[in-house]
Amino acid sequence: MGSPFSINGGACVAMVGKDCVAIACDLRLGMQALTVSNNFPKIFPYGDVYLGLTGLATDVSTVSDLFRYKVNMYRLREERPISPQTMANLVSSTLYERRFGPYFVSPVVAGINHTTGKPFICGFDSIGCIDFAKDFIVSGTASDQLFGTCEGLWEPDLAPEDLFETVSQALLNAVDRDALSGWGAHVYIIEKDKVTKRLLKGRQD
Amino acid sequence: MASVFAGAPPNGAPGYSFAQTPTAAPAGIREHSFYPYTDNGGSTLGISGADFSILAGDTRSTSGYSINTRYAPKLFKIGGEGPESKGARIVLSVVGFAADGEALKERLDTIVKMYKYQHGKPMSVAACAQRLSHILYGKRFFPYYVTAILGGLDEEGKGALYSYDPVGSYEREQCRAAGAAASLIMPFLDNQVNFKNQYIPGSGEGHALQQRVPEPLPRKDVEELVKDAFTSAVERHIEVGDGLQMMIITKDGIEEIYEELKKD
Repeated sequence: MGSPFSINGGACVAMVGKDCVAIACDLRLGMQALTVSNNFPKIFPYGDVYLGLTGLATDVSTVSDLFRYKVNMYRLREERPISPQTMANLVSSTLYERRFGPYFVSPVVAGINHTTGKPFICGFDSIGCIDFAKDFIVSGTASDQLFGTCEGLWEPDLAPEDLFETVSQALLNAVDRDALSGWGAHVYIIEKDKVTKRLLKGRQD
Repeated sequence: MASVFAGAPPNGAPGYSFAQTPTAAPAGIREHSFYPYTDNGGSTLGISGADFSILAGDTRSTSGYSINTRYAPKLFKIGGEGPESKGARIVLSVVGFAADGEALKERLDTIVKMYKYQHGKPMSVAACAQRLSHILYGKRFFPYYVTAILGGLDEEGKGALYSYDPVGSYEREQCRAAGAAASLIMPFLDNQVNFKNQYIPGSGEGHALQQRVPEPLPRKDVEELVKDAFTSAVERHIEVGDGLQMMIITKDGIEEIYEELKKD
């Protein structure tokens, strides 16, 4: 059996634009080469902060539920929504708690900071090391392909509609070259006071 | 690392390319080993147009984390005369194990030359492509550890591009990336050359949109795509960099372009 990170397959990508961020994921759930479901989203909204989780599906579910609990508790205690930066540190410390028996996930955080109004994205390894990126974050079994498409298509200061096209093309073309990802996609375009969620069809093979 | 010389020769002993060199006192059973392949990294790419073909490759040669040289060409002119390969109309690109690539080039070059001497006419790309497949399959059980791309012009003067696996399975294509950064470059090429996942706005209801039909790109656009593909690959792959070598095959011959890539 292969790595726990590539049993179920899946891909996720986040990008920064001008006063906006995008986060997108594929919808496949597999057991090695066999596709079990074509409706398994890997992006989870927690208020206005978005978390993308790829890797072992059981850990994706567990970790997403754990953060729903943790973010709810944060909001109740602090009486304010969590900022993407705080979310990033919460994810990091939560993963590091399992330093010697990690969750097999590669998380991605995306959102706009409500106090500063600045877009924020970051990624992590499975034990919580944060990758602060100014441009884009990729994760999942199609990460190599995503690095290629993002590096080729992304440019600074994209407007929301252009960012949507860029992130969608980057994801769709990347997952088409990965046998473990695909079967449609979810794309979130996050602006200061508007979030647009789109469902992409993509290749159904 | 992945070097052929895995076992360091102990105190001044001869540098055999075996994992274990003989020691002073042979004790008990010893297992010797020799791995005949090394991965020299790097990437290549080819795109064919209406009346030209472009092949490109970076010039870095690596073994493990070390750089052997910053200029080791992966592109070779096939069937030309003299050390400059004058009059060649076919280009072979090889990536993988550089020594096998060199040997393969040498064999194909000789064959294409012999063909011309014996038949009094240059070999067509289609024939050369099939012959290359046979050469590779001939070593089915001790393969040339390379991914080859062959480029030229077909008998109608259109750009022709053939891609191979190490044992000779081959196909004519519009574009192909090979080597270490193939997984990064290929989806980008799908999108920009074959217009994959691109649909014509307002050409149908809902999901019944029409696919944007791929058409041969002009040479300037293709050159830009090649450069973009490689500068992107250099950013994210450590085995790609140093220099970009491009060869453009037209009816007037082979044009060679070299430009610098990042050296970090």
